[in-house]
Amino acid sequence: MSQTSMVKLGAIEKTWADGTRALNNVDLEVPKGQFCVILGPSGAGKSTLLRAVNGLMRPTAGKIQVDGLELTQASERELRKRVAMIHQHFNLATRASVAANVLSGALPEVSLARALCGWFHPEQRKKACHYLERVGLKPEHLHRRAGELSGGQQQRVGIARAFMLDPKVVLADEPVASLDPQISRDILTLLKDAARELNATVICSLHQVDLAREFGDRIVGMRSGEVVFDGAPTEFDDQRLSRLYQNADWGDGEPTPVTEDSLELEAAGGM
Amino acid sequence: MSTRPIPVPPQGTRLHWHLDQPFRLKHLVIAVLILALLLVTGHRTEMDRMVSMTTQAVGNLVGLNDESQVVRGLSKVADSMWPPQMATSEEVARMNDFNADELPVFARVESRETTTQRLNEDTLQLESVTETTEVLYDPLGYVKTVFGKMIETLEIALWGTLLAVSLSIPLAWFAASNYSPNRVTYTLARGFISLLRSVPELIVALFLVLAYGFGPIAGVLALGMHAAGFLGKFYAEDIENADKQPQEALEAIGAGKIKTVLYAVMPQVLPQYVAYTAYILDRNLRMATVVGLVGAGGIGQELKGRFDMYDYGHVMTILIAIFLFVFLLDQLSARIRSRMI
Ligand SMILES: Nc1ncnc2c1ncn2[C@@H]1O[C@H](COP(=O)(O)OP(=O)(O)OP(=O)(O)O)[C@@H](O)[C@H]1O
Ligand SMILES: [Mg+2]
Repeated sequence: MSQTSMVKLGAIEKTWADGTRALNNVDLEVPKGQFCVILGPSGAGKSTLLRAVNGLMRPTAGKIQVDGLELTQASERELRKRVAMIHQHFNLATRASVAANVLSGALPEVSLARALCGWFHPEQRKKACHYLERVGLKPEHLHRRAGELSGGQQQRVGIARAFMLDPKVVLADEPVASLDPQISRDILTLLKDAARELNATVICSLHQVDLAREFGDRIVGMRSGEVVFDGAPTEFDDQRLSRLYQNADWGDGEPTPVTEDSLELEAAGGM
Repeated sequence: MSTRPIPVPPQGTRLHWHLDQPFRLKHLVIAVLILALLLVTGHRTEMDRMVSMTTQAVGNLVGLNDESQVVRGLSKVADSMWPPQMATSEEVARMNDFNADELPVFARVESRETTTQRLNEDTLQLESVTETTEVLYDPLGYVKTVFGKMIETLEIALWGTLLAVSLSIPLAWFAASNYSPNRVTYTLARGFISLLRSVPELIVALFLVLAYGFGPIAGVLALGMHAAGFLGKFYAEDIENADKQPQEALEAIGAGKIKTVLYAVMPQVLPQYVAYTAYILDRNLRMATVVGLVGAGGIGQELKGRFDMYDYGHVMTILIAIFLFVFLLDQLSARIRSRMI
């Protein structure tokens, strides 16, 4: 694995219109091919951070670089082609067929006329079938409505869609939050293997600590918009785990301040 | 959660019980005002005369009085409307495309003898002269004409709907707040849609007949424009309310707005679109019979022409045709609907 950084976030700040400080001076560098897991209580800013990488969320301050390309208004379109995204709620067009959903992952590279008649290139069709097979679906699923599939199958379609453009970076925001433990493991295995084939970087937020330890090459712990742990899964012991989630406010409100002794975590943030 | 006890008044407090009547002077005044308004508007719309004339007509029908304007007018029309006109006869000499070998079905050539009084210039006396004219008599000729007009009406409705759909799709794009390029295009599109919707087909047709002349062009345009307003509004609202999740997925990979709508919005809203469009087609089929009254083609134009010429037999045929048409349409759409559900 080469150690050139693929995603580089520099001093990212995000303050929402209502004054919520979702990200506070976040620095993060993810090398090529790494499977980086982001952990943290609800409201820690994991989704906000992921959405900063492809510009779905515009940070108040800070710099974002993906694959050597700086994210600006002008480069956004180009950059997004290299960054795929997998969503917690799958975000499929539920009334469209599985095939149409997977093919739609190639839309940025398809001319408008072709998109209009659904006339995708033969290589793209082949690729769609390849990835559908890769994620364990069958040919008879092709023309099924996406909404008729089970949650696990829908997320498989979501993964196939994400890989249509050979992404350099895959952002996965709680990809297995609504799936059972066994299927969650299968899905993450798929994701990890598919990413490894392309040597793609994965940034994946999770709520399941065991899965994070199992799949992550690295764990980033977030709390109240700050990175409070950053290290290998082996370093992320139970003590650090309980401190990461300790006193966390699981509601929408402000998290309760972290107490003195819990700050031994990783020195990245003091309250 | 803190629960507060229900306050209980201290013992011995005399409570003042009081139950009002449901109505007060205010209500009486309002009732009087409404009554006055009804009386004034009722008089202005001649509702009083309507009641007296109808009473008279009912009295006439049961034999209480022998004069009723309503009954007289209706029976005059009814008398001349029956039987409905089915046949046509045309002088062969006046037809320039007459071909004796290829007569229409059921049609035949008849000789008609017409006797006219004419002054004989030699004897200076009036004589009866008998002339024989060849006439093409078609017992179902007018039925065929009406059928042809009905088909034209159908075509007007169809093209009106087609025009409405193709106009409303770009309109809906600009009128959907989440896809319109900017505030100005949004407001313009919304304004245009309201304008289209606000003017009834019949009035639009009236003006379009001035611009395009009598005939189906005005009808198609009038139906299309009004329906485009309707469809544009509903399409736009559906686009705005569509589930955001699949749209975000495509936005996230930089698919662009048009492709996002095609692949993330269209699959969701298509069933609704089909339903709206079917409704518009149904409505246009009815309206197409009416816009002809101002000269915009179809059966309505034929009806107006015959009515103005007091050809009430022909009018009857047309009315029967329209009734049958609408009846068949209802049957058909009911059947299609039950099959779709
Ligand atoms: N569009 C928004 N407008 C205002 N505040 C927002 C918005 N989106 C998120 N926030 C706030 O930003 C903070 C971080 O939210 P975020 O969704 O990133 O958390 P998260 O770590 O992904 O949580 P979860 O695990 O529940 O998904 C929260 O306090 C949230 O209320
Ligand atoms: Mg989240």
